[in-house]
Amino acid sequence: MEKLPLGLVIDLNKVVPYKTGSWRTLMPVNIMQIPPCTHACPAGNDIRGFLRVLAEKEDYEQAWHVLARNNPLPATCGRVCPHPCEAGCNRRDFDSSVAINCSERRVGDYGLEHNLEHKKLVSGRKEKIAVVGSGPAGLSCAFHLAKRGFKVKIFEANGEPGGWMRYGIPPYRLPNYILKQEIDNILRLGIDLECNVKVGVNIPLDQLTREYNAVFLGVGAQKGLGIDVPGKDAENVYTGVDFLKQVNSGKWMEIGKDVVVIGGGNTAMDCARVTKRLGANVSVVYRRTRMEMPAITAEIDEAMEERIMFRYHTNPVKLVTDEGRVVGILSVQMELKEPDASGRARPVPISGSEAFIPADTVIMATGQAVDYDGIDVQTVDNQWMYTNEHLMTSMEGVFAGGDAVAGLETVSLAIGQGTRAASAIEDYIEGHVESSLAQPPVVYSRDLNTYYYNKQKKFNKEAVSIHTRLKNFREIYPSFDLKDIIEESKRCFSCGLCFHCGNCYMYCPDSAVKISPSTGGYEFDLDFCKGCGLCAKECPCHYIQLTLEK
Amino acid sequence: MEQSAEELNKIEKKDLFTSGHRACGGCGQALAARLVADASGENTIACVATGCLEVFSSPYPDPSWRIPFLHSLFENAAAVASGVEAAYKALNKGPVNIIAQGGDGSTADIGFQCISGMFERGHNVLYVCYDNEAYMNTGVQRSSFTPLGARTSTTPMGNKTRKKNMPLLAADHGIPYVATATVDDFRDLQRKVKTALSIEGPKYIHILAPCPLGWGHHGELSVQICRLAKDTGIFPIYEIIHGKVSNVRKIPVKVPVEEYLKLQGRFKHLFKKGQPTPEVAEIQEIANQNIERFNL
Repeated sequence: MEKLPLGLVIDLNKVVPYKTGSWRTLMPVNIMQIPPCTHACPAGNDIRGFLRVLAEKEDYEQAWHVLARNNPLPATCGRVCPHPCEAGCNRRDFDSSVAINCSERRVGDYGLEHNLEHKKLVSGRKEKIAVVGSGPAGLSCAFHLAKRGFKVKIFEANGEPGGWMRYGIPPYRLPNYILKQEIDNILRLGIDLECNVKVGVNIPLDQLTREYNAVFLGVGAQKGLGIDVPGKDAENVYTGVDFLKQVNSGKWMEIGKDVVVIGGGNTAMDCARVTKRLGANVSVVYRRTRMEMPAITAEIDEAMEERIMFRYHTNPVKLVTDEGRVVGILSVQMELKEPDASGRARPVPISGSEAFIPADTVIMATGQAVDYDGIDVQTVDNQWMYTNEHLMTSMEGVFAGGDAVAGLETVSLAIGQGTRAASAIEDYIEGHVESSLAQPPVVYSRDLNTYYYNKQKKFNKEAVSIHTRLKNFREIYPSFDLKDIIEESKRCFSCGLCFHCGNCYMYCPDSAVKISPSTGGYEFDLDFCKGCGLCAKECPCHYIQLTLEK
Repeated sequence: MEQSAEELNKIEKKDLFTSGHRACGGCGQALAARLVADASGENTIACVATGCLEVFSSPYPDPSWRIPFLHSLFENAAAVASGVEAAYKALNKGPVNIIAQGGDGSTADIGFQCISGMFERGHNVLYVCYDNEAYMNTGVQRSSFTPLGARTSTTPMGNKTRKKNMPLLAADHGIPYVATATVDDFRDLQRKVKTALSIEGPKYIHILAPCPLGWGHHGELSVQICRLAKDTGIFPIYEIIHGKVSNVRKIPVKVPVEEYLKLQGRFKHLFKKGQPTPEVAEIQEIANQNIERFNL
């Protein structure tokens, strides 16, 4: 006789589990969001993307490709960008921001060291596009158009490409060989470059609009403005723009012993630090105080380290000349009153405070303007170019971007505008309407669960000693160690994107988070999920959120 | 069974306690039961006392357990586990991990003498207590683990007595291993289960398992409340190995008990118009005593 088991026996392999998912009123979803660093970046770099590749795979090559997908000049931006991304970084509320700028520079340098090349998305479109100016806006626009297969030709007025990055930024901030390599890499996408052609003078703009399907104007603001004081026409008075252009072209300037730089912007800082390296005693004369200076804070700090004298509240009233040469400036002390239209305190002279500052050379870095020679487009307040929301100027098929549109701004902003203009040009040629889909939301630190992150010190770049760096024009920050940057990338919170911490997987009381066999990531088993929200609450990076049940 | 530190610290997820159980959303006990089952592995027999865990995990015909499971009465999970252990010994089978599990009522009140007997007789059994600080299964009645000030259905004005200190009572039996843990630190919890199973003799692990229904908080806060219980000093985390307190978890940043109490509905009456009543100071005093006693 068959022996029967005592009582009921359940075959666990045939058990149909009770689907508790029907209890749910809220359901978890994965929502990829924009991290605040990318949100703050004017060029829209995929910062989280390249930092995660570095942190997880320690693969510099892939990181470079992620970064260079948006920004063709990472090594340049890693040197000169005032990094608003780091100001946006959520980690600032925890300990200190991730050293994004240094990481970008190292990844950019790695790309140059290993001759990594940009990849074309499509090839062989027949439309031709002219890009006027090879600054960051022009290069970025040309890069994105060439990647999309358009035939692009860049017209450059100067002898070498790079625009203000080449002729404005001194080599101790951005060495020429770095810039040249990055530009050559962009041109390798099949972009034609013609130097020493000034559109509007050597070749009329009409001819370009006739011969090309679209034109992008990235002419920058390369006309220096001085202040209107007696003696400004003396021969040893320069505008900041002219001075930097000549020095960076390799011309030897006879500047004498004492140099006075007037102004408080980035050009003024560059002029002051260049003349200091040429061996002069430099003083910067500014009407307001350091608080109101428009220059990048790090630039001012470095200038101060380099023993450059700052005279605040000082306004030149007259350049004292002797036989057509300036011998000094007559200045007056100012006091600050209620803010003016620009929001900065309005300086008012104090009577009887005149003083004489001796000078062998005076550099006036007090503003820059667009050179409209032969370019007849509508302007805003007679200053910057007018563009509509698609970056098109008043001329049909002529787009513009960079400093000429935005005013005096950063390299990264110009890159961002070039990127946008490239999309706008593609839409214009294809006859599409520009996509205006809503962007995903931005993650802020209040959304994060920072319990799961560890406090860690920020990577600090170290400058060469002041004594050494004032002797030459070599870069003041030497190259960073690859390992240090990998360590730094591990500090990234990965705001708004899963970094496989496994919290949801381990904490789900219903085991309703599974590892996906296809992607290896985590996925929800909605048959069993009760919608308690524990996973969303304990997700460090706010990638999991609760929504109403569908 | 000596295990390397690497093995002890490994996180286990084998789903030996699977989905489909009837626990409330965000149940701390369901989470703890899975972590314990996964840490102990397939070669395990679970003897579970009556209570929430048994009710929600074992309805016919689809139990959640993928290891042998033995349901007993409210009071005798420890006695049944002792019997299983004795049977294995008599049949000369094994070794097998035997885990007796129960809630706080079956551990501290109803089943206390069975547990005490098991400890005293020296059975090779691990007893795991899921502490949710009241009789949740029958409708949130007060147990001897209910903390001072907590409202239950039998203490509507708040409990007037202090919580029984079960881990120290267990340790005073002279058993080789006692530990406390919470569900928020799963690595620590699983390490303690594995450590306990590697030791011969009776062992006791006390796990704080929040009950969203009885404690009056949203299910998503279960882990956060555990974290606050540790960081306020209300629930100290330690091990007692052969009578010696060790591996005490130090509090990184001390948090006032208000943070812990405010999240839970059962302590709502301790705050009048947002202002704490004198009982909060008493609870803070308990936390301070814990901090001093275990040098948290």
